[in-house]
Amino acid sequence: MLKSKTFVKKTRSGGVLKIVREHYLRDDIWCGSEVCTECKQESTVLQRDTCIESNLCAYPHYLIPDTNVVLHQIDVLEDPVIRNVIILQTVLQEVRHRSAPVYKRIKDIIHEKEKHFYTFTNEHHRETFIEREPGESANDRNDRAIRVAATWYTQHLKTSESAADGLKVVLLTNDQGNKQKAAESGLLVFKCEEYIKSLIANPELVDRLALTNDEKNEITSSKVLFPEHLPLSRIQAGIKSGSFLQGTFRASRDNYLEATVFVPGEGEDSTEVLLQGLQNLNRAVHQDVVAVQLLPRDHWVAPSSVVLQDEGMAKDENPEEEEEEKAVTAKKPTGKVVGIIKRNWRPFCGMLNVSQIKESTRHLFTPADRRIPRIRIETRQASTLAGQRIMVAIDGWPKDSRYPNGHFVRSLGGAGEKDTEEEVLLLEHDVPHQAFSQAVLSFLPKMPWAITPEDMKQRQDLRQLTVCSVDPPGCTDIDDALHCRELDNGNLEVGVHIADVSHFIRPGNALDKEAANRGTTVYLCGKRIDMVPELLSSNLCSLRSNVERLAFSCIWEMNHEAEILKTWFTKSIINSKVKHNKNHDLFAYLLYLSQMRIDDTTMNDDITKSLRGLNKLAKILKRRRIENGALTLSSLEVRFHIDSETHDPIDLQTKELMETNSMVEEFMLLANISVAQKIYDEFSECALLRKHPAPPPSNYDILIKAAKSKNVAIHTDSAKALADSLDMATVDSFPYFNTLLRILATRCMMQAVYFCSGMDSDFHHYGLASPIYTHFTSPIRRYSDIIVHRLLAVAIGADSTYPDLMDKHKQSALCNNLNYRHKMAQYAQRASVAFHTQLFFKTRGVLNEEGFVLFVRKNAIIVLIPKFGMEGTVFFDSKDKTAPNLVFDEEGPTLTVEQHTFHIFDKVKVTISLDASNIQHQKIRMALIDPVISGVSVPAEDLEPQSKKSKLDR
Amino acid sequence: MATVQVSEAEKVYILHGIRDDLRVDGRGCEDYRHMETETDVVSNTDGSAKVTLGHTAVLVGIKAEIRKPRPMLPDEGYLEFFVDCSANATPEFEGRGGEELGTELSNTLYKVFNNKHSVDLKSLCISAGEHCWVLYVDVLLLQCDGNLYDAISIAIKAALFNTKIPRVHISTDDEGGKEIELSDDPFDCMRLNVENVPCIVTLCKVGHRHVVDATLQEKACSVASLIISVTHKGTVTCLRKVGGGSLDPESIFEMTEAGKRVGKALHTPLMNLLKQEESLGKTRQKVGFLG
Repeated sequence: MLKSKTFVKKTRSGGVLKIVREHYLRDDIWCGSEVCTECKQESTVLQRDTCIESNLCAYPHYLIPDTNVVLHQIDVLEDPVIRNVIILQTVLQEVRHRSAPVYKRIKDIIHEKEKHFYTFTNEHHRETFIEREPGESANDRNDRAIRVAATWYTQHLKTSESAADGLKVVLLTNDQGNKQKAAESGLLVFKCEEYIKSLIANPELVDRLALTNDEKNEITSSKVLFPEHLPLSRIQAGIKSGSFLQGTFRASRDNYLEATVFVPGEGEDSTEVLLQGLQNLNRAVHQDVVAVQLLPRDHWVAPSSVVLQDEGMAKDENPEEEEEEKAVTAKKPTGKVVGIIKRNWRPFCGMLNVSQIKESTRHLFTPADRRIPRIRIETRQASTLAGQRIMVAIDGWPKDSRYPNGHFVRSLGGAGEKDTEEEVLLLEHDVPHQAFSQAVLSFLPKMPWAITPEDMKQRQDLRQLTVCSVDPPGCTDIDDALHCRELDNGNLEVGVHIADVSHFIRPGNALDKEAANRGTTVYLCGKRIDMVPELLSSNLCSLRSNVERLAFSCIWEMNHEAEILKTWFTKSIINSKVKHNKNHDLFAYLLYLSQMRIDDTTMNDDITKSLRGLNKLAKILKRRRIENGALTLSSLEVRFHIDSETHDPIDLQTKELMETNSMVEEFMLLANISVAQKIYDEFSECALLRKHPAPPPSNYDILIKAAKSKNVAIHTDSAKALADSLDMATVDSFPYFNTLLRILATRCMMQAVYFCSGMDSDFHHYGLASPIYTHFTSPIRRYSDIIVHRLLAVAIGADSTYPDLMDKHKQSALCNNLNYRHKMAQYAQRASVAFHTQLFFKTRGVLNEEGFVLFVRKNAIIVLIPKFGMEGTVFFDSKDKTAPNLVFDEEGPTLTVEQHTFHIFDKVKVTISLDASNIQHQKIRMALIDPVISGVSVPAEDLEPQSKKSKLDR
Repeated sequence: MATVQVSEAEKVYILHGIRDDLRVDGRGCEDYRHMETETDVVSNTDGSAKVTLGHTAVLVGIKAEIRKPRPMLPDEGYLEFFVDCSANATPEFEGRGGEELGTELSNTLYKVFNNKHSVDLKSLCISAGEHCWVLYVDVLLLQCDGNLYDAISIAIKAALFNTKIPRVHISTDDEGGKEIELSDDPFDCMRLNVENVPCIVTLCKVGHRHVVDATLQEKACSVASLIISVTHKGTVTCLRKVGGGSLDPESIFEMTEAGKRVGKALHTPLMNLLKQEESLGKTRQKVGFLG
């Protein structure tokens, strides 16, 4: 039977379209129940024996949740206790329309066999399809469709023999009207809460119930704390007329009363709107898309430089206190949130603050991410959950509540445990870290894998070349290798060989999609989260020595002055001869080489010649690059020595920058530049490139001010000027000064980003001083490189193209994801280092160290400890003590505490300890030892007993 | 247009028959052939109707779109006509064969229908000078068996009756910017008043008399015909002569009178039929094209 569905739609250009879709109704949609004898189904989903202990429904029954129940109580539905549920197509469609994440979750549940969830396509069933009636809203129609389907099930199960079993269907709805109508038509209907509370055997489920709006709880003080949000229609009208701005809400990490809204504009027009105060933040949560209204110009304020953490209700009034100080720095456009366009709530990791009152079931939850407000949840398992890392989802934020309401989702494990914390930081940084699915793995090549004759035919055979790979020790994903040989005409041939990952990952399949989503491999301390399955990353695509591997080669002919005479690219087969460790073997080897210069003839095997040639060229290349204005920046990287048994860090060292690293790096840069040029020449619209925008001059303010305090001038007109003045900037009595300055300069930089050449005109890479750049050399761990490989393969005719590769909008969307994943991977990495640092200090106890002041804030200084490559904040005001006399000078910037004035780069001595008072945010606490300021600094701790104790512990 | 070859003897037979008010198929001079109408036959239009008259079959679909009003008439919407002479109707229309006829038909239709006396064009205005509804009237000839004008005009009237224009309202924001908002209820729509929409009556001068609804054979015997559009009150809104021969003023007057009479009689049963069909609502069994 054929019906048509008709609806009218407004088009973008303002026209009105009538759209008609054909809709087929069928007779052969079965009920999916085991007891049914009427339906001719091949397999059944719903069980005969569906008993669940409930004091409301003593009979066996199937559940039919309505849309809102699925949307809000998905956490409950996910629980293994809830089984035998009928999900109607109407519900599924509405859920898909309203929330993509919930839709994905419900789909996952449906696919899970043990859950016995059955999708009933009621919209296509002849007896359950209904048409919208005049005067009926879309929601009413859907509610009616759900009721009709439920009635159908009731009738259907009654007629079959199951009547003997007393099998029934129970409709779950939270909508009062719907419930009443359902009851009138003789259905069994309950509110979700009623039903869940009736499950006597499983009281823990109640915790996972989302709080619904109609249950205006007595916890909230009756006074309205926040202004009402505007309805969406008014927001849209306002945005169109320009009176509101739409943007992404970004809460401040340091100050819970402050946030910015990033309003994207065309080109340079992007603005940031500052928000201050609870009222103006108006219940927006980090990452929500909000509408803001600018305040009149005389209400504009400057961002406060105070570090403020939400400690409870008492400090609500803080923003007003600070108003007077605002005048000094530049005021920024300030606004207030008038409405929320899209919530971006996800389940948050964090810990429970158990309520002071013993029997209370309401508790506050503190998320691990400081930008997320605390969440009020209801649980009866507070005592078990205390001390655990848990996940909580936000359900809503009523306007009379200080905190949003939420519910418990799941527990991740004990706080402070390594596995739990790692899980938390992966979840918090949105790093996809599940095991690869079967669908993904099915696209891997079958083992044992060997190079086929076809491959041989299509590729250049470079096996006879002396190719060597150079990678850090313990590295299993080796994606690059080099060779160098002298040609007959006296020139040098240099080749960079990159693992040919795009040969294994074909566009569009599940493996490709997964890799595109992950975007990058994430390296944590002692753990790696792969972008592609291990078979590829550590075996087939790893250019291990003495095995034949497929590679993508970029080969240059150069003269001895490292000038490129010819460049060509080819897919090839290589056989790496030797693997060198960047840090050990090669280093020793190069040292050895330099000694050998006197006696050049003793060693003349291929590898030595190859390396010697490479090293010589690399030095020339590097010099030339620096002459062009490439920056050498600095940031301290930390390495942990991990105990092989307990996997706890036993020592902490900053990584030394070895000169030898740069040899390989130099050729990789060259390869990237050559490839970027090639793919851009070939595909000017859709080449995937990487750019590093020059920072706006104001970014350098802090650097210039800081350098000035030491009478050093820094020029920031161009990258070259900056590089030169950084090289010149030395203070004789202060050898570490230059490094500190470079660290500061790094902080001034912009983030390098991927982009699609058709969508942007500025290609310049500021840091490398290259007009064009891309990533080609690490396809195992970066998806961008895979795309570049594909583009290059098409450019040289080695592979065919596919539509998405040539679509600049899709490329651009991909770039956005890659940029996001890279950023998150970096953050995750940093968080992992921070966590391991804490573990280290846990075992080491208190330490006294020297450090340098890196930044000066209004109420604190930030100190860098070079020995450990870590930073910490020394606060001068605390809640329990009266604050010392603090004078902050924006110009210096300096902070005067009592009599002592702190400048940037001041040398200080601090005591470092682990502050475990807040298990969730265990942090490194630093306190001042030297200079001695009465009432502020602390006496140096006696270290001896501490370290002895830690020795005993081990 | 589709023509048939008629022999001299046939011609005489037809002429003599008409003189005696008895036509070949048994009708009188002012009788129509059997006529069928059905509305709402094309679901993706806003209004549609199919009319068969003898073996002549036409399909009319109306699509409403939002456009800028014509500068001279800022507070009125307007109608656009397009007649598609498909080769299905007759092989002569193949290629560009039907183009000339199509243009001629649509020009006539434009004259007859696109004026405020026929259709309430003011009701099609959404905001003066900025937005109005434009009704695109698409006519498709399915089969030609004479008297296209009458069949088309009836189909257009039926289709206009059937037209449901989604209701919109204009919301104004603070700064005077106007925004068209669409009701989310698909049943919330505007209907046109088709009371004054005229029907076309074509009178063919055959011999000394004239006939209504001429078949192709009768047409072949006629020298000229007169197209008269008449409203339900009997008002003539348009008069046009087609065909090669000439008409004397006396017969033009006679034909106009006859046209008025026939046209007036046509409206009432048509409106009754349409209303009756409408009242059936969803229970109506659709006939469509295969019935």
